[in-house]
Amino acid sequence: MRPSAVHRAIRLGSALALATALLVPASALPARAANPLVLRVGTTQDLDALNPYQTLLVSGYEAFQLTYNLLVDFGPNLEPVPGFADSWTRAADGKSWTFHIRTGMKWSDGQPATSADACFSWGLAVAAIKDGANIGAGYLDPSLKDAGVTAVSCPDDQTMIATTTDPSDRVLQVYLPIIPKHVWGKETYKTIGDAKFVAPLVGSGPYTAAEWKTSQFVRFVRNPDYWGTQGAADEVVIQFFKGADTMVQALKAGEIDYARDATPEQLKALESQPNVKTVVGSSNGWSQLAFNEYGASKGTLTPGIGPSTKALWDPAFRDALGYAVDKKTLVDRVLGGYGEVGTTIVPPVLGAWHVEPDHPRTFDVEMAKQKLDAAGYKLDGQGQRLDKEGKPISLRLDYPNTKDTYAKAAQFVKDWYGQLGIKVTAQQYDSATLGNIVLPPEAGKDFKANYDIELWGWSGNPDPNALLQIFRCDAIGSSSDSQYCNPAFDKMYDSQNAAATADARKTILAQMQNLIYDQAVYDILYYDANLAAYRTDHFAGWQNQPLANGTPLFTYGTLQYTLLTDATAVPSPTPVITTAPGASPTPVASAAPSATGGTTAPAGGTGDNTILYVVILVAVLVVAGGILMVVMRRRRATPGDEE
Amino acid sequence: MNARYLARQSAQAIFTILMIVLLNFLLFRMMPGSPDRVNPRNPNVTVEQRDAARARWGLDKPLIPDQLVAFVGSTLQGDLGYSIKFQGQPVTEVIGDRFGPTILLIGLAELIAIILGLALGAYTGWRRGGRADRIGNGLSLILYSMPYFVIGMPLIIIFAAGLGWFPTSGMLTAGASYAGPVEFLTDLVSHLALPLATISLGLIGGYSILMRSSITETRAEDYIATARAKGLTDGRILRSHAFPNALLPAVTLIAINLGYVVGGAITAEIVFNWPGLGTLTVDALDSRDYPVLQGIFLLLGVSVVLANFVADIVYGYLDPRVRQ
Repeated sequence: MRPSAVHRAIRLGSALALATALLVPASALPARAANPLVLRVGTTQDLDALNPYQTLLVSGYEAFQLTYNLLVDFGPNLEPVPGFADSWTRAADGKSWTFHIRTGMKWSDGQPATSADACFSWGLAVAAIKDGANIGAGYLDPSLKDAGVTAVSCPDDQTMIATTTDPSDRVLQVYLPIIPKHVWGKETYKTIGDAKFVAPLVGSGPYTAAEWKTSQFVRFVRNPDYWGTQGAADEVVIQFFKGADTMVQALKAGEIDYARDATPEQLKALESQPNVKTVVGSSNGWSQLAFNEYGASKGTLTPGIGPSTKALWDPAFRDALGYAVDKKTLVDRVLGGYGEVGTTIVPPVLGAWHVEPDHPRTFDVEMAKQKLDAAGYKLDGQGQRLDKEGKPISLRLDYPNTKDTYAKAAQFVKDWYGQLGIKVTAQQYDSATLGNIVLPPEAGKDFKANYDIELWGWSGNPDPNALLQIFRCDAIGSSSDSQYCNPAFDKMYDSQNAAATADARKTILAQMQNLIYDQAVYDILYYDANLAAYRTDHFAGWQNQPLANGTPLFTYGTLQYTLLTDATAVPSPTPVITTAPGASPTPVASAAPSATGGTTAPAGGTGDNTILYVVILVAVLVVAGGILMVVMRRRRATPGDEE
Repeated sequence: MNARYLARQSAQAIFTILMIVLLNFLLFRMMPGSPDRVNPRNPNVTVEQRDAARARWGLDKPLIPDQLVAFVGSTLQGDLGYSIKFQGQPVTEVIGDRFGPTILLIGLAELIAIILGLALGAYTGWRRGGRADRIGNGLSLILYSMPYFVIGMPLIIIFAAGLGWFPTSGMLTAGASYAGPVEFLTDLVSHLALPLATISLGLIGGYSILMRSSITETRAEDYIATARAKGLTDGRILRSHAFPNALLPAVTLIAINLGYVVGGAITAEIVFNWPGLGTLTVDALDSRDYPVLQGIFLLLGVSVVLANFVADIVYGYLDPRVRQ
């Protein structure tokens, strides 16, 4: 017996219903404000964790900063501004700081937020530092270590005192979220890194994480108890895109309000788009050629370990190579013109701390050749450059697969060095593998630092320390990718970190930047740009951080979220009635309240498509009905034909 | 259907699945790269911390036998382990979240493509050499050779970003809450339309081409001539005589394709940001998330084997010669 067509139709229908049921959330949906004003932010970087101690990614930083406050926040130009603490004073000797915690502040669950929370959060890091350990992924606590904080105490609910080893003001740059003690109080520095931070989270920031669908989106809701300015958005949704193309289309369609990390081509195309503004922010970092100096301090080169030639140990050799690289071309051709020519190890975005080198190298291949000749690296009969042992120099250049700009830059470098008679073999790796290639035996017996040049990049913190410490001797075996060691540099590092005044620090930082530049430890190719675009028809009040050369979102702190206003709520202080006399004046009156409320429905977009959906549904039904009819006709017409 | 045939097919299927389990384990570990979540470039991480992280994921033990034994043992107990990328979430949960969306999208697309593709193929094959055939077959070949992103991106640019008829991407409006099932379904259907169209279009070609050639062969059969001699109408002969007989090769293709449904359609899912198993595969590959990769490929392997198994059984039922 065969099932009838009707049975089949029922089966098909129930299969579809089942498929739909698979997708409908099983639990009841949480009650929410009707028609919330949602800020939608797109990024191609997935979120890895809501646990601040666990995340390795910028999106993770954005998530925890929306939810939690730092003790001292970052202002429009990265200057210290009140955060969890609303004021602070420094002791006369400069070695202790008293922070005043806001009075009457509350966590998003209504519990009081006090100095106990601050002491708990900082205390975790202090304990870890005492044990010579890190918390979680180890990215957050070093800022407290740099600040020289040795102890914290909380004599009352509104006071926290931090004791430091030196009189620097690094304590105002500490990048540690203040987490609620009443939620996490049982955790220690050893366990907090593995603690499950599951949304909804309790926080004191402007928006708290309410829902995270891995690889899809993370949704934040307004914290009604937030102490600062309330932003216009009721909710913030950060959406994760697999590809920048789709993200840009979503921005064009008005489905998202902000797109982070567009490509240069996309940004150029977006510039002419109505209601879209593009931003080219200066990245707090760079892309560099790191020359492998492993073994230079010992003076011996072990085969299979370290670089292939001692020439890389020689500052004169590295200096000469610097003349062969045309950075302007790299910026134009690799970065599509978005970015800046690279020089010193403190990026220009850190305004006050950056200096340009005293003795800059210019692009001049002939000069490079002369300098190589003068330094004793001569050409042989076949046009190959020889090292001092008489061996042709052939360099291995390794780069990661994370950005296509690395591959492009590598090809240019290969060509330019080739003009000097130096053969370059460029090779691409995934970042974990490359990270392991670069590690020297100091990191473990399996590591060999077997490369000549590494083309990669770094990005830093609002404080330049993060980018400076990779040139320290003790970075060899962890973050050093040049294996450079110079006790003079380390000494300068310590003294700039302990410097009592900003001017004193700036002088030392300038020396350090020049030292690394002159010794050509790195050849910094360019300072990358952060390319972003946002819509102006939904939200207004976008502000960059830093004001001059930053981007509005994914910066430091989350001030910019709170500055956004509803662009659709047009304030109309002087109502102009254009309608004929006698017509009802109500439209003006009804428009007024929405200027202050934040609940205006999003304009345009996908809201008015009811007719379309009906059409689609009808079309589907017609097709299905047609198929059904054909099948049934066949059934009815052919009983006698069946075997 | 005899029992021996069934037993032989079952044994084959089980053996294949076991091989897949083993291969899954070895294949991903042969890839260059490592799932090290502890970034070696983190200035602050010590050698000890890196080692501890590796030990935690069992990556410090020798690949064979320790890791292999542990893997096979837990897999046989239905424990697929924990995702490395997603902070220790169970693999079954990670995959479970993506299963529904993929089945909905690819399953529906297959259904549409099978119906339309077979119909198109049958019609063009029946009218071989005619205008309908030239257009239909040409169209099939074009669609067959087009990757999903080539079909999908223009659809997004025209119908989503341009006309604004459909959302560009995702399965639902991110973070939205719904007043009722109607709102939910409306949102779902509007998000589903473009990716569904893309994959259906991409799949139609294959079915149509196969069906066309099959119908063409059938057309020359004696029983068709007999049917014609009986004075049956042309359409009747196609529907009642040619089509059912020509369907046999299509059964194999359908079975194999249905097995691949759980694999998702990677490029289509990426273009439309569809939260399915295809995008999960790419994510897991990027981060060398071995447990999730193993889980996905196990699921995919098992479903392909099962689909083939079912195809063999159905084939045996449809065509007694196969049973021998």
